Amino acid sequence: MKNKLLSLNIASKTVNLGSHKIALLDKIDLQVHEGEFISLMGPSGSGKSTLLNCIGMLDRFTDGGYTFLGEPVHSMKEKNRSRLYKEYIGFVFQAYHLIDELTVYENIETPLLYKNIKSSERKAMVADMLDRFNIVGKKDLFPMQLSGGQQQLVGIARALIGKPKLILADEPTGNLNSKQSDEIMELFAQLNEEGVTIIQATHSESNAAYGSRIINLLDGKIV
Amino acid sequence: MFKNYFKIALRNLWKNRTFTTLNVVGLTAAFGVAILLAMYTVFQLSFDRFHEHGDEIYQVYTEDSGLNGIEANISKSEPFAAALKDEVAGVEKITRYISTGVLLSQDDKQFDMSTAYVDPDFFEIFSFPIIKGDTKNPITSESSVVMTELAAKRIFGDEEPIGQTVSILRDEQQVPFTVTAIVKDFPNTSSMDFDIVLNFKSQNEHAYARTIGRWDMENHEVYMQLAEAVQQEQFEKNTTDFTQLHYKNVIDNAKRDGFQPNPEGLYRQLKLLPLADVRFANFNQGAVTVSRTMPYLVLGISILILFIACVNFINMSIAKSAQRLREIGMRKTLGANKKQLFFQFWGESILVFLISIGLGILLAVFLLPYFQTIFKTQASLATLLNPSLLLVLILSVLLITLIAGGYPALLMSRLGTLQSLKGKLDVHGKNHLRNSLMVLQFGIAILLISGTLVLWDQVEFMRTKDLGFNKDQVIAFPLNGQLNDQQAIELLRNKLQDKPNILSVTASNTILGLGKDGSRSTSVLGFEHQGRGVDTHMVVVDADYIETLDLNIIKGRAFRKNLASDSLSVIINEAMAKQLNEDDILASQIDLDDAVYSVVGVIKDFNFQELDQTIAPMTLFALPNWNLRNVYVKVSSQNLEQAYTDVKAAWNSIEPNAEFQGSFLNENIDRTLRHERTMITMIGSGSILAIILSCIGLFAMSLLIVAQRKKEIGVRKIVGASVSAITILLTKDFLKLIVIAFLIASPIAWWAMSKWLQNYVYRIELNIWMFLGAGGIAVVIAMLTIAVKTIKAATSNPVDSLRTE
Repeated sequence: MKNKLLSLNIASKTVNLGSHKIALLDKIDLQVHEGEFISLMGPSGSGKSTLLNCIGMLDRFTDGGYTFLGEPVHSMKEKNRSRLYKEYIGFVFQAYHLIDELTVYENIETPLLYKNIKSSERKAMVADMLDRFNIVGKKDLFPMQLSGGQQQLVGIARALIGKPKLILADEPTGNLNSKQSDEIMELFAQLNEEGVTIIQATHSESNAAYGSRIINLLDGKIV
Repeated sequence: MFKNYFKIALRNLWKNRTFTTLNVVGLTAAFGVAILLAMYTVFQLSFDRFHEHGDEIYQVYTEDSGLNGIEANISKSEPFAAALKDEVAGVEKITRYISTGVLLSQDDKQFDMSTAYVDPDFFEIFSFPIIKGDTKNPITSESSVVMTELAAKRIFGDEEPIGQTVSILRDEQQVPFTVTAIVKDFPNTSSMDFDIVLNFKSQNEHAYARTIGRWDMENHEVYMQLAEAVQQEQFEKNTTDFTQLHYKNVIDNAKRDGFQPNPEGLYRQLKLLPLADVRFANFNQGAVTVSRTMPYLVLGISILILFIACVNFINMSIAKSAQRLREIGMRKTLGANKKQLFFQFWGESILVFLISIGLGILLAVFLLPYFQTIFKTQASLATLLNPSLLLVLILSVLLITLIAGGYPALLMSRLGTLQSLKGKLDVHGKNHLRNSLMVLQFGIAILLISGTLVLWDQVEFMRTKDLGFNKDQVIAFPLNGQLNDQQAIELLRNKLQDKPNILSVTASNTILGLGKDGSRSTSVLGFEHQGRGVDTHMVVVDADYIETLDLNIIKGRAFRKNLASDSLSVIINEAMAKQLNEDDILASQIDLDDAVYSVVGVIKDFNFQELDQTIAPMTLFALPNWNLRNVYVKVSSQNLEQAYTDVKAAWNSIEPNAEFQGSFLNENIDRTLRHERTMITMIGSGSILAIILSCIGLFAMSLLIVAQRKKEIGVRKIVGASVSAITILLTKDFLKLIVIAFLIASPIAWWAMSKWLQNYVYRIELNIWMFLGAGGIAVVIAMLTIAVKTIKAATSNPVDSLRTE
């Protein structure tokens, strides 16, 4: 068995809607080991995105324990959590979420800026990444000038540039056609083989099949 | 990192070109105008601050108990200055000072010179450094003259001025003076303005010799330097014995007439006015009031305008931030912390501000000549180039960018990651801020507009008010030539006699309004009547004065044509008649030291002074050979311009070397309103700018709100709302803000304007329409501003707006 990357211990998230308490995630128990490729499945509103956001530390569980690389995230301060996810987690979104005002090159470079990496080193890293994804020729274009598949490619490149241990992908192919979708999934599978842990949320059975483990969610519970 | 921010900032500004332009235009206008106004304020406030001993220099004045309470007076008598220095401890140095114009000749050339007659201490008290000649005792001799570099250049060109002789016309004789020293040209922030300086004793007979040793003839000002160890209040207290000794009769008379003493129980009190306050002091209304309201008002306007422009910036930045939510969220996801985001957004604001300030400075430089002409000021941008002032300016600019740019940046950096990634913004609380800021903006605009309207009304009222004399047909000008007054008037009468368009010619020692030469004088005469003290303005006139000015005689008669037979007659105004309080006024006499005069007529009161004063008692004398410097010529109303040319030609043929400084009396009255006109122009242009800037903000808001509510508008149209219903829906919210602004601003404007109007004895009544007018103007302009966008939104096809979702 490989090292344990993260573990959720009866983790829940509830929100108050007026006087009602609604459980978005209900007592989730989950262990993720390094090198896994997990597909979260479930209908809309089942809590896939919420679970991803909580794992990605963009959101917090309201109850239960969350341990990431042996560190107790649930009792951490904002600043430390931010340090942790900056270091180890990369995000890929359905809507790509590239910054419109930045070129492909600059979008990929941005995470490095926030890690205070030196200019020469940044250049090398971004160049590697452009090379690897075959988008060197597009480095000076703006997101609006790219197709959806290309934008998602840039999004993945940006997620990978920080050499994360974990990639969280929320419906990464939701806005793409099937051909582009397959290409992106192939890429994920390849990355997984290279050792990156991936958790993806998806509606599609075929995409879920790329994963090594499928977790089904319904009304915030693992079923 | 920095480069990245800079790049994205530029791209963002470019992407939002409309808003960037609106912001830059607004801020540029605001900064440009604020720079000019701040410059004006600093210039005004720095008057007389360049004197090295400035803090120790004071003007001496008296406060007397009078019929209407305390009256302040700066005129002093010949023996006063020397006696004060001898008898009261604490006078370091003292000088008498009188400023006037003289006619100076050198070779064949003649020059009108503004002249200061002073005592030798003058150059030690004030910092008018001598750069050439006798630095020790430049005007100790009564035949010495000191001149400024500029004056020397005018007279002698490049010749060496020291030791040259010039002659000055005095008592109809050319008196030689030797140039002993040259004074460095002084800053234009000096209230004292002279070309040459002469010894006080070098004045003419009438002004000096006649007054030697007389405590009752007061005709000049006195400035002194207080010894360093002495406090102003202490010194004022110490003068009590001095005053008791030298002004015993004044004090006795005040007691006899039952005047109220001041709180210290004194009827006459010597006081000191700090030099820096002299320019801002008002002696017209009772006790001295020092008021720097005008410069601070101007500064206030510049701050209000900057505020309005900054509000636009804040509102637009916050509203636009909704479009950058994804970027904010993404940056946070990629590891940006609050500080980094704050600096990024703040940096963008600073960029806009830097551009605007740069353009604003250019705008100020461009507008400066116009500004100087309109406001008749010599203030220049160099006024602001003083290290401590620059520091203050830079700090205030930093503060403005910190608040206006920093606040939206802070809001943006604080947004939650997920919330902003989803593009959802809790806009509820922020609308409060936006609305309050817009209410403030329009409140300021309405305040300034109503101020302008009221001011304008009052000035028009003063300009067109029937002052009780004919101001439209009378040309007045000073006798500024070499001939004596009587000769000049005689010649002028002969010249103009045959001209059909000249109706009559007269002269007097005082001018009505303010003439082109800018000089004015009043003589007030005090005497005893029936055991009471009586004060009256003394106006000495030539034949036909009453006829020329169309004054109304209500009792008795005018002076006879043969004026000499009336030399012991006086004509008084109603106010004087009331003060004399006689049953048969025409049988009464007034007893002055030199002679007894009979009242032969009473004229209806007319406003011979400005409208901020009640009509004072006044007496017309027909004294022979008196100084009658001001000529009045009444012309027929047919062709006023031709008449003016004729009078000018006549004067030029009599005094070919003297400048003709004639103007109609209504222009003279206009000139006295200069201060008010400056204020109107300031506040008026301020209000125009304020409303324009507010509307820029409003326009931007309407753009954004229409965009935000696009879907709502679409849905409403689909369920059957009409174009007008939607236009009203969109307009209503803004209209509400302006109405609130009106409700807040109007009472403040009413209060401020009624307070200002208190300064005028003759004033308009405030009425609600002036304020409703201001509010109406604001509403109409605002509605026009947003009409284009809202109507377009209301008429657009609902399918288009829904498709974007």
